[in-house]
Amino acid sequence: MEKESRIVFPGELVSDRPDRIAYAYIDKGKTYSTVVGLFSDGKLVPLEGPYEPLPDDIVVCIISEVRFSGYSVDINCPYVSFLSSREIRERYEMGDAIVARIVKVDEVKNIDLTDARKLPQGSLVKVSSVKVPRIIGKKNSMIDTIQSSTGCQVTAGRNGYIWVSGAGDFSLAQKAIRMIEAQAHTRGLTDRVASFLKSGKSR
Amino acid sequence: MMGGSKGEKPVLFENGKRIDGRGAGDLRPIKIVCRVLNDADGSAYIEWGKNKILAGVYGPRECIPRHDQSLYRAVVRCRYNMAPFSGMEEHGRSGPNRRSKELSKVIKEAFENVIISENFPKTQIDVFVEVLQSDGGTRCAAVTAAAVALADAGIPMKDLPCAVAVCKIDGKMAVDPGKEEDNFGESDMPIAFSPRNGEVLLYQMDGLLTREELAEGFALAKEASAKIREIQADAIRKVYDEPKEERFLTIIKE
Amino acid sequence: MNEIKRDTLSALLLAGKRADGRGMHDYRKITVQKAPLQNAEGSALATIGKSQVIAGVKFDIATPFADRPKEGVFSTSADLLPLASHLFETGPPSEEAIELARVVDRGIRSSGTLDLESFFIEEGKVLALYLDIYILDHDGNLIDCSALAGMSALLSARMPKIEEGKIIRGEYEGKLPIKDKVVTCTFGKLSDKVFLDPTLDEEKGMDCRLTLATTPNHLCAAQKGGWGAVSEREIMSLLDISMEKGKELRSLL
Repeated sequence: MEKESRIVFPGELVSDRPDRIAYAYIDKGKTYSTVVGLFSDGKLVPLEGPYEPLPDDIVVCIISEVRFSGYSVDINCPYVSFLSSREIRERYEMGDAIVARIVKVDEVKNIDLTDARKLPQGSLVKVSSVKVPRIIGKKNSMIDTIQSSTGCQVTAGRNGYIWVSGAGDFSLAQKAIRMIEAQAHTRGLTDRVASFLKSGKSR
Repeated sequence: MMGGSKGEKPVLFENGKRIDGRGAGDLRPIKIVCRVLNDADGSAYIEWGKNKILAGVYGPRECIPRHDQSLYRAVVRCRYNMAPFSGMEEHGRSGPNRRSKELSKVIKEAFENVIISENFPKTQIDVFVEVLQSDGGTRCAAVTAAAVALADAGIPMKDLPCAVAVCKIDGKMAVDPGKEEDNFGESDMPIAFSPRNGEVLLYQMDGLLTREELAEGFALAKEASAKIREIQADAIRKVYDEPKEERFLTIIKE
Repeated sequence: MNEIKRDTLSALLLAGKRADGRGMHDYRKITVQKAPLQNAEGSALATIGKSQVIAGVKFDIATPFADRPKEGVFSTSADLLPLASHLFETGPPSEEAIELARVVDRGIRSSGTLDLESFFIEEGKVLALYLDIYILDHDGNLIDCSALAGMSALLSARMPKIEEGKIIRGEYEGKLPIKDKVVTCTFGKLSDKVFLDPTLDEEKGMDCRLTLATTPNHLCAAQKGGWGAVSEREIMSLLDISMEKGKELRSLL
């Protein structure tokens, strides 16, 4: 993400031609960024932004309402997200944390979930959803480092909800996650996080 | 140099110099810090002259009340508010007055132009501006800070707007009136631009201007807005050049 | 709107641990910026952890209350600004805001640290001191953060120059006389565990809260909020902790 990339701002020119680039718009034959992001190789990656739910996203959700035929869940976006009772064998209560997969987002942005599994007792760390890939790391490398160093289980939802459970050092895990969130766009982060976790500072 | 009592007009522009020593095209000092609040989705703090203004953005979030929501886009809301301790004169009253309601509306309309609201139907995007200290030109500072806060929140926009006012003082056009120039000048014209194509997003004017003066005013404003845009971009860049986990609002004393 | 299930946070607190690794009687990092504003006669910006509060002092001429004709007026207000939290809405002050203002006010007023008789100007004219608390960022314990900002704003305040019964703005005559530095300590309680300086998440899970306002030698105000109960023994022990913590807090003012 960092090779020859430059930071661009809303309204900044990213192409002299009408290219269809995500997070950019075309006006009079030229393409402009809509967000603060990193632009390189014809691709624009936002540095911040609200979670935009897509089918097949794995998300961490909090049960917000028990309904007759299922559950309303909070997945960190302003749209109604629903988990039908037919999709699950477990029973949930308000406030339960579950991990699930988005199966459908319809035209009015109602969201349906499936493949739900209750998460063990833990706490929520909420991050900006665009940073989640960095928290997970290539082939889960980053998340594995956090888990092994802190003794916690970390489940990262694409929606920016990170569930930290287990009897490990929650405070240390939370600090590491915050550190990655703040420095997600920088180089050498993996090493810095590893050495931070090793020194196990808790304050 | 202040006029003694109201109505005693000081000399505002003499020998190419204004009362604070500035030239016609000179802005007051502007400082912007992006990302100063923890809960808000985006935030920015601006010091413009002695103005100290905080902008916070939430959204897109659920639109409440439900009947206000649009099926096709996010509803943009804006609240401009002045703290009761923001002015030099008496203690202000809490809550919105007519002026702040008008400003809330024109600022909201400026951003409705640039926010790509179709991406988020049925939601609302809130822009909150709090004037902690006022020194003339608060609405331009408010728009400038709010734009940075919206960018900080990752709200997609067609552009990063900024705003600046021009005035006529002692018969001459000048940019960014200070408090005395606001009080005693012959015309005041705040303008918000979309820098990409120069489109005007907010425009108000009072006083008396000839056609030539108006054109001169626009030219001065355009030139000043390019400088303000750089300050906004620097503030946003700093968030990524100097990443911080904790956010603090730091107010510089004079 | 993500309601953390009580049990998850409870488990940590009931084990005497806190999510951020603090001790049960530790404050988060506190900062105080003194007199950052110039139009106000006094001001301060206080932060506790991620909570941020700014307070401003303004003077006006007012008529005294009929039953206290020789005393000035002291009035505190608090605004939970909508930009401070996704939980806050625009509109008239909520009961939370009103309680906050009154608790901060009570600590200052009953300590006697302000000499309201010195605000007397002439018959029918006194000075009114308005202390406005603006909550800018909410991560719990807004009471202590507001009390710090408020007290620091008072300590920074300058008396306005008065000529012929009118205030001459921009000119000052000395500082506002203050006798004692009043500070507050707010504790959360969950079952039998008591913890100082609750974060927003901890507030969501706790049974009740207790705020104690102190001067160096006295308890001057107290407020219990929430539905849970505290014992007399707990109150006495929290007073001891408040007296101890008070020294730390006063050193920042």
